[in-house]
Amino acid sequence: MTPRLMSDDRRAVRRTEALGHAAERLGVDRRRFLLAGGGALAAAVLAACDSQGPRSAKSLLMLAERKNETLERALFRHGSIDVPPAGAKLAGARFPSYFVSHSVPVWDTAARGEWRLEVGGMVRTPIKLSLADLAALPRTGYRLDHYCVEGWNAVALRTGVRLADIARLVGVQPGARYVDFRSFDSDYHESWDIESAMHPQTLVVYAQDGHYLNAAWGAPARIYSPVKLGYKNTKYLTKILFLPARTGGYWSDRGYEWYGGV
Amino acid sequence: MTRHHPVVRITHWVNAVALTIMVGSGLRIFNAYPAFARKGESFCCYPFEHTPIPAKLTFGGWLAGARNWHFAMMWVLVVNGFVYLSFIYLHGEWRDLVPRRGIVRDSVEMIKFYLILRRDHPRQGKHNALQRTAYFVMPLAGIMAVVTGLAIWKPVELAPLTGLLGGYVWARYWHFWAMLILVALTLVHVFMVFTVDPYSIPSMITGGYRDDLSPEARNARPFVHLLPRHHDAAPDV
Repeated sequence: MTPRLMSDDRRAVRRTEALGHAAERLGVDRRRFLLAGGGALAAAVLAACDSQGPRSAKSLLMLAERKNETLERALFRHGSIDVPPAGAKLAGARFPSYFVSHSVPVWDTAARGEWRLEVGGMVRTPIKLSLADLAALPRTGYRLDHYCVEGWNAVALRTGVRLADIARLVGVQPGARYVDFRSFDSDYHESWDIESAMHPQTLVVYAQDGHYLNAAWGAPARIYSPVKLGYKNTKYLTKILFLPARTGGYWSDRGYEWYGGV
Repeated sequence: MTRHHPVVRITHWVNAVALTIMVGSGLRIFNAYPAFARKGESFCCYPFEHTPIPAKLTFGGWLAGARNWHFAMMWVLVVNGFVYLSFIYLHGEWRDLVPRRGIVRDSVEMIKFYLILRRDHPRQGKHNALQRTAYFVMPLAGIMAVVTGLAIWKPVELAPLTGLLGGYVWARYWHFWAMLILVALTLVHVFMVFTVDPYSIPSMITGGYRDDLSPEARNARPFVHLLPRHHDAAPDV
């Protein structure tokens, strides 16, 4: 053996050992990684399983909701209107019925007198409108999309009176920034920002698909606007109150976003 | 040698968490109406109308909880995606991630190799042709998810966008497809990491990677040559 070869061999051996140790080290690391990674993944999956996530996240989620509302209100335009696709069918009898009471809320004329829609709060001349009064006001009808928070949509022909027209009638005062829509469906109500309430497609609806509302769809009158998700559109309407502050709502108080804009 | 820049490593894991929560909460929202048809119509193109997703795969607990998570986490996803894409554009990493000449031929060779129709691992740079394709499509599907998501969040305020996608029903359908693409790519990615190149896991944490343990160096297919090739360590005499 020449010294040169000796040193080559030694170098080769050293190299082999170094690689071996590296592989061993790597092997251990990998096992640790797999173990730690698997554990973390399992914990994440367990934590995620049909839960609402960590409680501590709640304030962050509420912050995000407030920021989203700011953005949505900045995006909002009275000129942005809903136009359902030309080919879209009316949902007709397939239009879902929804209320929070145990049974379909029906206005009991015998017990409560004739139904009247009360428009009040920060207005110069509060009024009470019967269904005949409503029908006598300037009539507006649109074929409109209904966007439900659940993800479905449905098209219906909505006929009624623009809330903006009623607001002019009662003389809303400048300090009114919010509107609360109350109902006789238990304690159901939802409050809105006044900008959405004054949208040209926000209607006090008393007819759907050309017929007076039936009990399942919110008779005698309901609020409807395509700029708000379904749950914001109070049915079985009793009062429209113009207010200086927001007053929450049935679903808004139960975790759904207050703004609920479309 | 650092395989991934810290910006890439951080955005990778932020994305992993954000995407998981977005998919889980999105599926919970979908379960409130697990169908696409407008009321009173039928929908042509989804075979599982009204079949809910198993609750175990969902996140958020109930519709409002899932929506709150979805509409918060979307910002993490968007900001993180913006940081990642800006970084790889400015820093040059995009060169390893865009399709290059012969990507189809190279992809076919990779598939042949994985199907054992070819003996040796095709030569590659940082990523093989299939990885390049996947890592290129991933951000595109992410952008598709964001755009279609905006269209179904604001179908009235952003009506022109929703209209461009074919209306609310179709925008919702494309949003679902964006999710399917992201989930499929992620599942394949995770499978391949564990069965072909587990040595790349540290490279996405500490940045370190050993080229002599790359899949190309090991001639590795899924489950094949997972361990380092010891004869490589022997001296070439």
